[in-house]
Amino acid sequence: MTPKATGFPVCVLNAEISVTVVKRFWPHLRALLILVHLFAISVLAMPAPGSGLNRSAWSDPTVTAEFDAWRERLASWGVDYTADEFEEQLWTVAETYQGGVNVVVKPFRPYYRYCGTQQSWRMFVAPHRNPAILHFEIHEEGEWRPLYVEGSTEYTWNGELLDHDRARSAMFRYAWSSYRRDWRRFSSWFAQQAANEFPEATQLRAYYWKYRTLSPADTRAGVAFEGAQVGRRVIELEDLRNGDDR
Amino acid sequence: MWSRLVAFFDVKEPATPLALVRILAGVASFLTLETVWRHDLVRLIWTSADNGGYRPIKGDWFVQLLGGPTEAVMMGLVIAGMLSSLLLMVGLGGRLTALVTLQLILSTTDANGHTGGSYDEVLSNVLWLVLLAPSTRTLSLDCRFRTGAWRDDTPVAGWVRFLLLWQLILMYWATGVQKVSAHWVPGGGFSALYYILQQPTWQRWDHAWTAYVYPLTQLGTATSWFWEVSAPLWLLSWWYARTADRPGRLRHVFNRLYVREIYLVLGLIFHFWLTVLMDIGPFAICSLAMYPALYSHAEWLRAGRWARKQLPGSAGSAAVSTAL
Repeated sequence: MTPKATGFPVCVLNAEISVTVVKRFWPHLRALLILVHLFAISVLAMPAPGSGLNRSAWSDPTVTAEFDAWRERLASWGVDYTADEFEEQLWTVAETYQGGVNVVVKPFRPYYRYCGTQQSWRMFVAPHRNPAILHFEIHEEGEWRPLYVEGSTEYTWNGELLDHDRARSAMFRYAWSSYRRDWRRFSSWFAQQAANEFPEATQLRAYYWKYRTLSPADTRAGVAFEGAQVGRRVIELEDLRNGDDR
Repeated sequence: MWSRLVAFFDVKEPATPLALVRILAGVASFLTLETVWRHDLVRLIWTSADNGGYRPIKGDWFVQLLGGPTEAVMMGLVIAGMLSSLLLMVGLGGRLTALVTLQLILSTTDANGHTGGSYDEVLSNVLWLVLLAPSTRTLSLDCRFRTGAWRDDTPVAGWVRFLLLWQLILMYWATGVQKVSAHWVPGGGFSALYYILQQPTWQRWDHAWTAYVYPLTQLGTATSWFWEVSAPLWLLSWWYARTADRPGRLRHVFNRLYVREIYLVLGLIFHFWLTVLMDIGPFAICSLAMYPALYSHAEWLRAGRWARKQLPGSAGSAAVSTAL
């Protein structure tokens, strides 16, 4: 008997069939979508160099010390490389591998971006043996005066901002030479605050004090830290007061 | 194989674990935004340079739709995000609240990629899964208004709980296998934790004192590295606990040795010490938000009954006192 013969509207019957079909196939479709999700997030979480594939970062003493440690370990297993050979081999392998990862994850980029499923779990990959401490100083009445020293309880200018973990995340990055441009922007922003807040000050000096952390034995022996200023900038505050923020 | 997989994802169970995840995700979202608001950081970190920030930022599609990352727009998003986080905690508005909270967290924390951490990614992943789950079915105002009670044990889709577990284990495992420093891996002296504690960026206070308890930091390094790298065993232990009635020697050993609980306790210790010694933002609460998914509704009920018995004045504690 056809639908017309029963007097039952065709569209209602089609809708019922559609609901039945969806009910039957939905568990399969759902399982497929779940597997796609699991694949998408798992492949993005696979170990990869990511932003660590950066030549200037590889010249940092912390990174070169890690390479040396691994080179020595390989040498003890009978695999000898010079420092340059090791870095070149590693760069080639890392670049090729990262290229492969990029190809696989490319179709899922919108999913990561719009649904918040980004996965990069490169957390504390290696201890930074050569960290840096941010300093802001102003030149006032003929002498330099510290305003802010990271971690200090004495020099805490704008500490409400700078001591927050999100600001420290930026400060950590800007001690690396690859973030030179953002370091200029960041220090200029605080120079503007200093220009407004200290009308007598003529200059703001911003720099990182980069040092090597001490081994447990050296700490116990009372060895002093050795370090040097990096990323040093001296910003004329009068220029900022006149509206020149270069 | 396929039909077993389809059946596995078709399992229904009461939404208690999902509701607990939702509540903790709400707490994590609120804290994420509240500290930025309280420290008056919105202008510095989430506003574009031409609007008072320090670097040029564009914001995502939603921020663009609202007119770009000005201080007013970003502050509005922060306040709206704090309010939606509160709604998520109390479970009002169903999945819509989770969707709104997720979008607000993405629009704010993604605004400046230099001022965040992995905790932002943990949180957005949790919120996405909370959005997929009918997490306000129980322990929520939605439940109260719908049924007149705070609890509704009607079974809902259980697959989201599995995705939460996968996400949790994936995070720990992925971070473990990427700890490739000679200071982390066996044979390198297990000195990573000691040296990480000397980094000024994440210190709560000066940790030079750890030089005098160096072996303890070595133990911490070895334990946390092994715990992270072997995290897939945690997922396996969850599966074995779930299928405890099936045969198998390994299943029996895992359940007998409480492997799932050992990993849980190590996880709690790990996050506790990280939070005490280091200031790494809301990482602990964002990660712990997934932990309720480790246990089923029935197990949470048992835990609740046990906890009630421990309360002073309860029948259980009175009986214990009498016996003593």
